[in-house]
Amino acid sequence: MADIKDRYDGLVIGGGIAGMQAALDLAGQGFHVLLVERQPSIGGIMVGLNKVFPTLDCSSCICTPRMAEVAHHERISLLTYTEVQKVEPLNPGFRVRLLKKPRYVVEADCIGCSLCELACDVYVRHEFDYRLGARRAIYIPHANAIPQVAVLDPEYCVFDGSCAKVCPKDCIDFAQLPEEHTVEAGTVIVTSGLQITPMNAKKEYGGDTYVNVMNPLAMERVQSSNGPYGHVLRPSDGKVPKSVAYVQCAGSRDASIGVPYCSRVCCMYALKQAIMIKHELHDTEITIYHMDIRAFGKGYEQFYRRAMAEGIRVVKAKVARISEVENRDLSLRVELIDEGGKVADIRHDLVVLSQGVIPGWHPGDVLPVPEARDGFFEVPELATKPARSPVEGIFLAGVATGPKDIPDAIVEAGAAAMEAAMYLGRTAVGQAAITGSGRRA
Amino acid sequence: MNGTKRLEWREALRVFRERMGGLTDAKKSYLKSDRETRKAVREALRFGSKTIPELTQQLNLPGENVTWYVMALKRYGEIVEAGRAGDYFRYALKESER
Repeated sequence: MADIKDRYDGLVIGGGIAGMQAALDLAGQGFHVLLVERQPSIGGIMVGLNKVFPTLDCSSCICTPRMAEVAHHERISLLTYTEVQKVEPLNPGFRVRLLKKPRYVVEADCIGCSLCELACDVYVRHEFDYRLGARRAIYIPHANAIPQVAVLDPEYCVFDGSCAKVCPKDCIDFAQLPEEHTVEAGTVIVTSGLQITPMNAKKEYGGDTYVNVMNPLAMERVQSSNGPYGHVLRPSDGKVPKSVAYVQCAGSRDASIGVPYCSRVCCMYALKQAIMIKHELHDTEITIYHMDIRAFGKGYEQFYRRAMAEGIRVVKAKVARISEVENRDLSLRVELIDEGGKVADIRHDLVVLSQGVIPGWHPGDVLPVPEARDGFFEVPELATKPARSPVEGIFLAGVATGPKDIPDAIVEAGAAAMEAAMYLGRTAVGQAAITGSGRRA
Repeated sequence: MNGTKRLEWREALRVFRERMGGLTDAKKSYLKSDRETRKAVREALRFGSKTIPELTQQLNLPGENVTWYVMALKRYGEIVEAGRAGDYFRYALKESER
């Protein structure tokens, strides 16, 4: 971890793909940037995905080099495991209060050797694998984590010192406390990302009751070569599924759960996951139940047609409810739209709910940017200035302003960085940054 | 690790333990169950490979828990895949763990 200075030209909130891109683009213009991430590693959701659509490129192979670039950039400082406590306008610039949570490991000394993890005798369900995989009470966040630094979870620590006994760098620090930092920043870019709708949002689908009803991000981990199983298996008994169903709009376009909008990525990730299952399990039948398929991006329509050509069944239907039957299989009561509304009960081994995208952060009065009615941050001039917030000097990118796919998030991050650079060019604090050290000469 | 450092971390650990409320009953219960289940899975595999349904039947535990422990022990190198039996993988103790 770099030493934290008192002031930066720009501060980026969120170390997912949009935040990393914004930090790189702002630093690339000569500005000094502090990137703040609340998780122990940067990379956000993207580093946990299996593939990206429509190219089927390996997601972490794209994300990890960018994470390394951020970590090694001479003008980017990184604060992980850190919460933003308050962003106060100074006109111009901002004062930002930060709280760095204790890892109980000295970041500067840890070499990521995992000896502490292997010495710890407490097995815990790993959040990175959506609780399908395991970690220990002290652990490296995941294989591609940056920084590769262990973090101790006091909730499960048994206080036997086994980690400290084996650490070759003596960097376990049980005396660590939360650290407060206050920095000033000329501009702030918010890239606070997304969550998916809760598994219990639609009770009739049993997402919080039946173990073989999965969330789509858990399925990404299951499909990943470094995921919890190493194969596509179902959680209840490790069976190789012979029949998999995707239920579209399971958390979007549904005013009853407060998500009336389209989440924009669910059709494509369902098609992608279906193709990937088919590539691994040739005999497995995969059915996508949908209201309509929205394949609007570059190459997306062709991707949809490819999925059908590869044998994925795409069925226009409404799923009324899911019930668990013998062998922990799942019975879906569906109304088949293209068969005159016929109601059928169809059995599958495994079901993935294509849950909706909701905001990753509701900062309340921590950040002086209002939320729009949909819960994402308000963008007053969406058509012409999509990266500007209502507060001068604060810019927005990625899913912070609404659901979007990875290419759109990256484009928007670049736009936010450019807007932030122009803002710095117009303000006294920015002028000092530009002329003070001659960095941009 | 030198002697001074060892004393330092032991004292820091004592203070940390107090600050975190020590080993609560809930934590003790979790630990007991965690260690016993891992031991039971290892014992069940000591004389040959098994599928998760076979392990579930033998151990009389919820299938999802058995899946999780098998995958956890596989992740940490104690268990390996040992072929397939129909729709299920078989799992075995790694030779060095027998």
